[in-house]
Amino acid sequence: MEKIQNTYKVVVNEKLCPQYWRMAFEAPELGLEVKPGQFVHIRTDDGGLQPFFRRPFSVYRAQKYVEIFYDVIGPGTKLLSLKKKGDTVDVLGPLGTPFEMPPPDTKQIVMIAGGIGIAPMLVLSDILKKKKYELVLLFGGRDRGHVYPMQEFKDNGVKVHIATDDGSVGVKGRVSVLFDKISRDVEHAFIYTCGPNPMMKAVQVFAGEHGLKGQAACEEIMACALGACLGCSIETTNGFKTVCYDGPAFNLDEVKFH
Amino acid sequence: MNITVKIANVTFKNPVTVASGTFGHAERYFKLEEVKRLGAIVPKTVTFLPQVGNQPVRIFETPAGMINAIGIENPGIDGFIAQKLPSFQQIGVPLIISILGHTEEQFVGIIKKLNGQEGIAAIELNLSCPNLKHKVLVAQDPQATTRLVKKMKGLSKYPIIAKLSPNVTDISEIALAAEEGGADAVSLINTFTAMAIDVKTRRSRIGNFTGGLSGPAIRPIALYMVQKVASSVKIPVVGMGGIMTAQDALEFLIAGASMVAVGTANFVNPRAPVDVLEGIENFMKENKISDIREIIGSLKK
Repeated sequence: MEKIQNTYKVVVNEKLCPQYWRMAFEAPELGLEVKPGQFVHIRTDDGGLQPFFRRPFSVYRAQKYVEIFYDVIGPGTKLLSLKKKGDTVDVLGPLGTPFEMPPPDTKQIVMIAGGIGIAPMLVLSDILKKKKYELVLLFGGRDRGHVYPMQEFKDNGVKVHIATDDGSVGVKGRVSVLFDKISRDVEHAFIYTCGPNPMMKAVQVFAGEHGLKGQAACEEIMACALGACLGCSIETTNGFKTVCYDGPAFNLDEVKFH
Repeated sequence: MNITVKIANVTFKNPVTVASGTFGHAERYFKLEEVKRLGAIVPKTVTFLPQVGNQPVRIFETPAGMINAIGIENPGIDGFIAQKLPSFQQIGVPLIISILGHTEEQFVGIIKKLNGQEGIAAIELNLSCPNLKHKVLVAQDPQATTRLVKKMKGLSKYPIIAKLSPNVTDISEIALAAEEGGADAVSLINTFTAMAIDVKTRRSRIGNFTGGLSGPAIRPIALYMVQKVASSVKIPVVGMGGIMTAQDALEFLIAGASMVAVGTANFVNPRAPVDVLEGIENFMKENKISDIREIIGSLKK
């Protein structure tokens, strides 16, 4: 892409399930370029000063339109949810280091997501469904309102397993109750995870115990998202790394989750 | 239209630059044509030895601004010269290298290494980073400021700019101390020491406990300080603090700044420095101003 900062037209902005929203905007060039795990940085206030920072969102789908999947939790996402079809958004992207593709001998791909961490997994499954993998999604959510209807994953041939804290959908408990769905065939399984740090820590511990490899997509408060301010650094086994530039995708065993 | 400005014997093609620490990886992310239009580029502060920076969390969003405590994460002067300097030089825009020594010897060491390099327009002495474990900043002590600036001025083959802290009782006193030491210019302001507390955990929001406040929230105070310093010293002033737009930058120029630096705005709008430059040019055209010197220090009283 010639420019990294662009203004795009909103095509869809809708509540997808009780908790989560989906926005699609018309960005054909961005759609062609963006890779699973990369993100966009959106100015939600249209040039005002409140909120001050842009907001980073994983790209959720990149087909005819580029889509993000978001939770209305603060002033930025609140403003975003007020956007109407035909409005414009100021977007930086594509940004960050994408997920690495699985090693050649991989047979089973296990995506482990918690809550809004589901966002990068759909675009990942869009890419991976073209290969002959067994695709599995283990999804953990707080309650029924936090479970996004999984049809799009199922359409991609993904086997979906759900756990909720209150048991209202799927199995009761944290996503770790679903870990028995992961192949112990170390040579042939590969993990992708995104979600709250305690969840990713549990995935990391499990993977470590069983010698499984994988990738984790991390989240942190960001200012520039271009690797300039070094504000979104996290601890890794190789020192501090920026989530925006060195990540969001890291080797699962590399991140020190707190 | 003349928009060139001078610091010591160096002429900058226009007065717009960026604040240290807000403009990394320029070579990867910006169309070179846009970056090439800036008057100068100031890379992130370099220290004598490499620094890993502060423990996260390093930033926090505040009303119209942010608190940061990055802790000058940088590869050290040797790493900077080997890895970063060549790509910055390739942009072809004058470079102002921001440096920080934790001791006078380290400042001397950095200057000596930079004296061995070509393609540098000026050195900015960061006397004012609030995020390191120093009890008193150089820029909080007029005698220390004069002594250090004098020593660096004696050693450096490049002009010296002293970057001042707003965390003082009277910033013009420090600016005069820098001028007395022989500084070719002063730049101001660095960030205000600040904090934010998480009410749930009753802990600081910042890993380093405190940080530095920047962004438009501090702009009126920065403007006041720039005006005060510019009316006290004879050397040029590089003004900064929350500049988001050309209108903001013009206020600083009218207050007496010869150059303006765009800082935190880069994080929100990467085009901000170029927007500021274009806006200043448009203002001059619209008002039939042929020389930027008709604007600088033109504040009426």
